[in-house]
Amino acid sequence: MGRGADIIRVVGIACGVALLMAAPPSQAREPTEEYLRVPMPPHFKVESTELEGPVFADPKGHTLYTWPFKLLRNGNTGDPKGQSNCTTTKTTVNAGFMSPYPGGFTLPDLATRPSCEQMWHPVLADKNAKAVDKWTLIERKDGGKQWAYDGEALYTSALDQGPGDVLGGDTFDHRGDDPAVRVPIQPPADVPPGFKVSTARTGRLLQTERDFSVYASDGDGPNKSNCDAACAKTWPPMLAPESARPHGDWSIFERSSGVRQWAFRKKPLYRYALDSEARSLQGSDVPGWHNVFTQRAPAPPAQFTVQNTTAGEVLADKNGKTIYTYFCGDDALDQLGCDYPSETQAYRLAMCGGGDVERCLGTFPYVLAPKGARSSSRAWSVIDIDPVTGHLASPGQSGSLHVWAFRGRPVYTYAGDEQAGDTNADGIGEFRGEREGFKAYWVRDDFNRRAG
Amino acid sequence: MKATTTTRLIGTLPRCAAAIVSMTLMAGGIASGADRTGPVKRSAAPARSAAAASTTNSAAAAAPAPAAEATAPAPEPTAPKDGTVAYVLTDLHWAIWQSPDGKTECPDGFNEGNREQFKALFPNDGQTRTLLQTQLRREIDGWYPTTLPDPFPFHEAGGPTAIGLNLDGKVGPNDFTSPEGEKGIDNNLFRVLGCVRNYRSPEGAIQGFDNDEVTKDVYNRIIIELSGVDSFVNDDDVQVTLYRGRDPILLDATGKEAIPGGSQRIDLRWGTKYIQHMHGRITNGVLTTEPRDLIYPWAVFYIPTDEYMRAARLKLKLSPTAAEGLIAGYSDVETWYSQLMRSYSTHHQSYGQSSAPSIYKAFRRLADGYPDSKTGLNTAISSALRAKLTQIYIVPESKQLVASAPPPPAAEPYHGPPFPRTPAEEATESGPKVASTAGSAVSNAEK
Repeated sequence: MGRGADIIRVVGIACGVALLMAAPPSQAREPTEEYLRVPMPPHFKVESTELEGPVFADPKGHTLYTWPFKLLRNGNTGDPKGQSNCTTTKTTVNAGFMSPYPGGFTLPDLATRPSCEQMWHPVLADKNAKAVDKWTLIERKDGGKQWAYDGEALYTSALDQGPGDVLGGDTFDHRGDDPAVRVPIQPPADVPPGFKVSTARTGRLLQTERDFSVYASDGDGPNKSNCDAACAKTWPPMLAPESARPHGDWSIFERSSGVRQWAFRKKPLYRYALDSEARSLQGSDVPGWHNVFTQRAPAPPAQFTVQNTTAGEVLADKNGKTIYTYFCGDDALDQLGCDYPSETQAYRLAMCGGGDVERCLGTFPYVLAPKGARSSSRAWSVIDIDPVTGHLASPGQSGSLHVWAFRGRPVYTYAGDEQAGDTNADGIGEFRGEREGFKAYWVRDDFNRRAG
Repeated sequence: MKATTTTRLIGTLPRCAAAIVSMTLMAGGIASGADRTGPVKRSAAPARSAAAASTTNSAAAAAPAPAAEATAPAPEPTAPKDGTVAYVLTDLHWAIWQSPDGKTECPDGFNEGNREQFKALFPNDGQTRTLLQTQLRREIDGWYPTTLPDPFPFHEAGGPTAIGLNLDGKVGPNDFTSPEGEKGIDNNLFRVLGCVRNYRSPEGAIQGFDNDEVTKDVYNRIIIELSGVDSFVNDDDVQVTLYRGRDPILLDATGKEAIPGGSQRIDLRWGTKYIQHMHGRITNGVLTTEPRDLIYPWAVFYIPTDEYMRAARLKLKLSPTAAEGLIAGYSDVETWYSQLMRSYSTHHQSYGQSSAPSIYKAFRRLADGYPDSKTGLNTAISSALRAKLTQIYIVPESKQLVASAPPPPAAEPYHGPPFPRTPAEEATESGPKVASTAGSAVSNAEK
């Protein structure tokens, strides 16, 4: 198959997923995160996304990504500032960046493997383009100009088909042994000094600048705290300095003479004194107290449940079996993804069944969706999978499976989980699933922040 | 209530400051109540070992204060206040006995690991190979291991000596003798791991990481509480309860050494599965318990994994401020192997020349307990852990909540990956291709 056919295949399959995912929201619109208006080149924009909040987008609304340079175990890759390493050259062998073994082995499914540029389209600039604030221009190896943000070359993803898609990458739960992943770029969140926002599994979590969670109480009124001095020992108020000014969702009220407290959407804000870890959800165990989110993540499909484990809460199917996602970035110079249905399934098949499709289907069964099931969000979708190849099925294909997907990727359960709350497959894969493998869908993790 | 407030305050403080506050307030607030000066001064005593410690615990405070307490160490208390004392686990290692040069237990040398086996399988001979044939093949061998004969030589640890306990009450020809001279020691896990550098001290990376995470990751916060203790020296009826705590361990100024007197909440939110009861006795200052199946958390590098030990029993030398000794029993093989694979990447295993496929085969060969009812194959292996614990206080309100907590779910070992490979598929295992390096799969014990 030639290069053109590769592109058609990748894009065509991605289009199929996008069409299936385009279910109109049926629920009342939840508040979305506000952001600071910063200078941008003409025609660039900011799009609201369900999982990542506001992201920068190209004139078509496609999310913009960077490929941050990353030091891996045995080398490094990605884009250094001011340079793009993503080219039209197809990578054919692994690099051995993350292996005790040497590189140089032929990569799976080479005939259909795209080049970096086919998966990550450089955001090209015309010759008259001019830098604006953090938006600058870099010169590509072919002499063309490419937009950069904060010095890092910008791309769009072949997987994203429309505004609000963030299928190419995320900012969630990436750790040291992850691939050099692509990350969506975002405008600064519209929060006062002393606050920040990050992506958690359940939404965009409001935090202090030192990453500690921020809470609100059901016992308070609009811009009024009923948390007295004794209460405040456990729930220290988020105080606003004299110079602070209300704006947008943010208000300030006087909790006692001369003592000003921040409120978000009129809810007074606090920290929880017993939080010993950043981004904790532990305060929400206290009746009437809740973490604060600038926007909530879409609810999973109604047939799913949440189960307690020994570390927190996981998403589970209707029978209580833990839900797993499969994540994969290959160990090649261009670090392409290998977890989307249009990408190679060789790594997943190795992990889920030792390379055997039938065992894979038994060990990590897809989570079947009822006939006619629809998602009320873009994050969750129903897709048709060819169970033999793991790729998307063609319309009407015999034997295809109607399955739930998160971010366009199927989700699974594990046959080795016997009781509700078992997470025996969490970390099955290379580098505990950081490089490629199965991860439990943590809704809350009180010990190692795997839910955000 | 004072203790509750203390704990909340401590939760807001950096670790070192929390240590100081905890020691000060706990000693003053709980131990002595009225006179804070004495216990606080005593807490500055440098000794931390089980033998030499004399510090801030409740038993110490209950003892009569000597006249010159600012300069003389307090006498060792003979019993804990109210008959209860708790310790938190600070160190945990698989018990590997080592001779100075390693030649007694590993006369044939140490085992080779992933990297060396890979090189033998796939030499740099100019041949083009695929990732599927090589690296992913090796991953599959790790995640879907078999009991096929190991094509690589595997050096089991041998010799007369091993650390552990006599688990079956017998003295057999293949049993070890402990360093203290006790006969009948059962520790086949030592046979498997004793000649794998990753599990030897001090250089073994896995034994180091395993132990580091005991203190670093609160998921692993194991508390052992003794109640009904009339004497630290002799008491034939002691109740032992295991909990999981929720708090960081109180450390000294180096940030590495645990010090007694810290406080812990009991994890009733996620950790009820770990609440387990044992019956024990104290003889000449050593606690021994009756055996029971035990689940305990041991997460490494953030994946929440547990271990499951059948017929586990404790043998711990006690002092008012510390406990040290062994946890021994039959470790469930599949649970153990799952913890290894999910915690340690091939890269990490290669630090210390360990090969998971070879280790699995050895585990299966040497498993010596709990035969499967269908296959008759042993599912567990005799083993021992070296453990160190430091005295702590359990926050009183936590104890009150325990009484009203719902019964914990029954803990089960992990039964391994479902749908084992067929013999035909097993024949594709990367190992058998290596004819030149094929070694004997007969264990030392069988020779």
